[in-house]
Amino acid sequence: MSWFRRVGWRHLVAILAVIFSLGPIVFVLSAALNPLGTLSSSTLVPNGASPDNFTRLLQDTDFPRWFLNSVVIAGLASLLSVFLSALAAFAFSRRRFKGRRTGLLALLLIQMFPQFLAVVALFLIFSRITGLWPAIGFNTWWGMVLLYLGGALGVNTWLMKGFFDTVPKELDESATVDGASHTGIFFRILLPLVSPILAVSGLLAFIGTINEFLLANIFLTDGGSKTLAVGLYGLVQGSERNSNFGIFCAGTLLTAIPTVGVFLYLQRYIVEGLSAGAVKG
Amino acid sequence: MTAQLEGPATRALPVLRHIIRILLLGTVAAVAIWAAFPLAEGRHWTGLGILAATTAGLLYLYTTSRHIPAKYLVPGTLFLIVFQIFPVLYTASTAFTNFGDGHRGSKADAITAIQTASVTRVPGSTEYQLKIVTKGDGALAFLITDPATGQLSIGDSAGLRPAGGNPPPGYTVLNAGQASARSREITDFAVPTAAGAIRSAGLSRAYEGTAVRAYDQATDSIRDSVSGKVWKADEGAGAFVAGDGERLAQGWRVNVGLANFTRALTDDTISGDFLRTLVWNFVFATASTGGTFLVGMAFAIALQGRMRLKGLYRILLVLPYAMPSFAMLLVWRDLFNTDFGLINNVLGTNVDWFGTGLTAQFAVLLVQLWLGYPYMFLVTTGALQAIPGELTDATRVDGAGPLQAFRAVKLPLLLVALTPLLISSFAFNFNNFNAIYLTTEGGPFPADNPANGATDLLITYTYRLAFGGSGAQYGFAAAISIFIFLIVAVVSAVSFRRTRAQEEVYS
Amino acid sequence: MRIRTAGAIAASLLCLAGAAACGSKSEKPATGATASNGELVIWADDKRSAALKPFADKFGQENGVTVTIQAISKDQQTTFLTASQQGSGPDVMVGAHDWIGNLVQNGAIDPVQLSDEQKNGIQPGAIKAVTFNGQTYGVPYATENLGLIRNAELAPDAPATIEDLVATGKKLKAEKKVSEILCLQSGQNGDAYHAYPLYASAGGYLFGTTSTGEYDAKDLGVGKAGSIAAFEKLRALGEKGDGALKRSITTDNSTATFTGGKCPFLVAGPWATADVKKAGIKYDISPVPGFKGGKEATPFLGVQTFYVASKGRNKALAQEFVTNYVTTADLAVALYRAEPRPPALTAALEQVKGQDPDLAKWADAGRNAIPLPAIPAMAAVWEPFGKAEAAVIGGADARSTVEAAAKTISSSIK
Repeated sequence: MSWFRRVGWRHLVAILAVIFSLGPIVFVLSAALNPLGTLSSSTLVPNGASPDNFTRLLQDTDFPRWFLNSVVIAGLASLLSVFLSALAAFAFSRRRFKGRRTGLLALLLIQMFPQFLAVVALFLIFSRITGLWPAIGFNTWWGMVLLYLGGALGVNTWLMKGFFDTVPKELDESATVDGASHTGIFFRILLPLVSPILAVSGLLAFIGTINEFLLANIFLTDGGSKTLAVGLYGLVQGSERNSNFGIFCAGTLLTAIPTVGVFLYLQRYIVEGLSAGAVKG
Repeated sequence: MTAQLEGPATRALPVLRHIIRILLLGTVAAVAIWAAFPLAEGRHWTGLGILAATTAGLLYLYTTSRHIPAKYLVPGTLFLIVFQIFPVLYTASTAFTNFGDGHRGSKADAITAIQTASVTRVPGSTEYQLKIVTKGDGALAFLITDPATGQLSIGDSAGLRPAGGNPPPGYTVLNAGQASARSREITDFAVPTAAGAIRSAGLSRAYEGTAVRAYDQATDSIRDSVSGKVWKADEGAGAFVAGDGERLAQGWRVNVGLANFTRALTDDTISGDFLRTLVWNFVFATASTGGTFLVGMAFAIALQGRMRLKGLYRILLVLPYAMPSFAMLLVWRDLFNTDFGLINNVLGTNVDWFGTGLTAQFAVLLVQLWLGYPYMFLVTTGALQAIPGELTDATRVDGAGPLQAFRAVKLPLLLVALTPLLISSFAFNFNNFNAIYLTTEGGPFPADNPANGATDLLITYTYRLAFGGSGAQYGFAAAISIFIFLIVAVVSAVSFRRTRAQEEVYS
Repeated sequence: MRIRTAGAIAASLLCLAGAAACGSKSEKPATGATASNGELVIWADDKRSAALKPFADKFGQENGVTVTIQAISKDQQTTFLTASQQGSGPDVMVGAHDWIGNLVQNGAIDPVQLSDEQKNGIQPGAIKAVTFNGQTYGVPYATENLGLIRNAELAPDAPATIEDLVATGKKLKAEKKVSEILCLQSGQNGDAYHAYPLYASAGGYLFGTTSTGEYDAKDLGVGKAGSIAAFEKLRALGEKGDGALKRSITTDNSTATFTGGKCPFLVAGPWATADVKKAGIKYDISPVPGFKGGKEATPFLGVQTFYVASKGRNKALAQEFVTNYVTTADLAVALYRAEPRPPALTAALEQVKGQDPDLAKWADAGRNAIPLPAIPAMAAVWEPFGKAEAAVIGGADARSTVEAAAKTISSSIK
């Protein structure tokens, strides 16, 4: 009984949670393994297991290329955007300047403008950029990365600012007394202390970017430059929807792999974070 | 606490810092120079000026010891300005125009389109075979063959005349590659004839055609030479309008002042549905954010502390978030199907999930919960880790139970860390277009009102108003978006004010 | 340690991206060099761009130009319009013929001048479909229309009327051989395209025609007496009536339910035959039957079309490709092999007819098909019409539903 009160209930909650979160994914898995690969024939238990859909995905589509594009674009964009938003969050959390709260609010409000309307303006910008600097224009990795960096100061800055706020200010003050500069405080005190949240925001930014398809669909038109989200979406367009559903599910599952990989890599920082690190010593 | 941190933090390495600074500034300068060349080449002086000013500003900012907050804010802000603020301002400015299908381009574009569209083949005229040729000086000409008689002629702006050979002396035939390099010239090239002009149809055929409609600058109107009908330019509407009210389809973009705003306010089908949609939109955003937060936090707490399989559980719980969300939204839609969906099959029920308002709303919220709780789970897990352990240890010594300890110590700290995030998550869900569009598409719709459904958010509703009619109406959509923006801004600003007190606790 | 690994990842990503930038840079002069020899950019959806690729390459080689095919996965028409407007669109666009009205009002496509011989080589219905305001606005290459696919083991004879079909389906359902009477996709928000044959048979129409035979946006058929009668009949077939039409049958499961043998009849187009064949079902294709004593159940004729973009950089070459290359039988046959829709070129149709008995049946099913209206006003019809259809299938009152739909449609037609 006391085992249950201490640990057992945690397992119970965890198992319930896992059932909830895996239900639809099992459905996708069974559709991916189902050789017929159509929708209504897919049930929780596959009618037969075959790697057909996976082989077709790899043979008939540019999947490996999409995969590479997605990983590079999402990897670069999330790394850079975490850094940019950490910088901004530091200013918002630690510095007091005119327009600070207005700036924070503005950051939030900008995010709320419907993106499907902004597409026209983005097209305008990118047509100019492509004309002048093709290396960062349409159909390039850098173009997409720059575009996604436009959103770097969005949600993530808010998230990080909240965490910076939880680190007591006395730490900075005593460091300042000891002669540390503001860069010293930022890089050597704050960043290590909030590393769990850097990892979390990195992961969130990575997932957000890898799943984005509204803009990627428009700015990456060359077959070789497409990302996973765009490529997969193209598989289930219009009348293709049914016959490609199995392949689509296979692709969906494979798309989760880089994300899970990033999660596994970052999990240490999320979990060990500070509790095992500096402060407890 | 500060004891351990003292060492590395205070011992700054001046040399290294200078090297890094020089490297970074050097990169900025290099990028600026790289970017400057095409601008100078294309004579984009304004662009060049902006580039120079930005670079100079950056160099100044990072060499001076003042403006510390700006040093941290500027990098992200630059991207923000180009890729977010400019698009938003640009879009907002279209709210005052009739920008949309039929009114996308300039008046000159519209006139060109009208004239091009009116070019018809002269009835009974010959279809020629065509070769594109150039004279010694590079001037274009058409070498055309009448397939019936085999007669060869050469044509240029002076007209058509018999050719003295194939190719005629002094002329060179262009191959497709060479010809397509002069594509624009060829398309515009016309050899005048009595009935009209000979134009190219591709690179290998030519036909005799006339432009039936022509623009007359003096009267600012389009005239049809066959029917004699005249359409006068109407600068208020951005279209050519005939006396009988008929409009030519090809219009242009003009300023319409506040017309889009008044239309949004006065159209009674819009105002009738607006309030109901707004209320549901708030319910949706609040429930999505709150629900995912509570569930995510509960799971995060359950998975704290020492237990086996923790790592495995965490990965499995994050999986829904790792799957592409648009794909999972499409899958969920099928799971909710009345007759074929997995949910009814497993539960043995026959619920028409997307068919009635309440069940559809419940269904989209459930989908939101599934998609969103891993996010909150991750964030809360990170936040819980960031809370120093001795804080909880201290309360435990005081004899408080784990639940009280959580409420007294961890929850307030969690809320400090997460309130900004909850606000921004609310803002995101308020405009969560895909969540609705890829599942219910806003439905179910009342039988007597196909314009507004039970799960419609303001943004899906706007989308339907703006793009569901005959062609996209960007200007109108922008106007409605501005209204929505104002509402959300007020709500966010009010709730944001309330965070000030919280924030200052730690300042 | 942590910083080092993260740094290493960042560095390798930067290298990769740098390589990409350099790579594309080193490619750029190449395309730049050929650009003086002409480059043709073609946009299509994913499926068609794959099928077009070899032919585009062939055209490029024969003519000494570079042909680039790009696939737009989503919102092709809007993306094309926005890109064209900014001058970054393609030279040739591939899409459905019912885009024409909107593309023309935006000045996005140029008319094509086909010779009489070329025109005569294309099926008359397809030519009619791409004719707008008296001009030919593109070159058709494939047609499609709905037909009735039936499971020949469950239902050996083609039903002559909807009533026959429902009777057969009900009998099979009573014998527990099937679970559905008819697979005609609707979904919660309806599907005007698939519902149209029944609507037409019951006496409804969408737009009247002008004296020149083109659709007239001012004469809206939805809301007229015929349309109300037609929706009454749809209602009688719906969930509260015969149960032949159901909102739970969607684009996702309609074909799959049929191929799973759970449904004897499927209303679908030529795109569904591949799945049906794969499932190994003995099937046959016939025209969609009409109501007993009603008009003919005319499906819509859709035409896949090549367009010349007005704002393309290489219009002369685009015109050459579209008017003089797309009109050859070889290309049409190849596109047919990539996706079995009947070719619009008569010569190509004759060539493949012998190998594929289904083609003649599809053509027969589309014998009286009417072109999908290409006027911009049609865009205002789809959603309200579909929702009205879904509502009456669910049992809503036909008259008030149709009148509400008519009000919504006419208020959004300018």
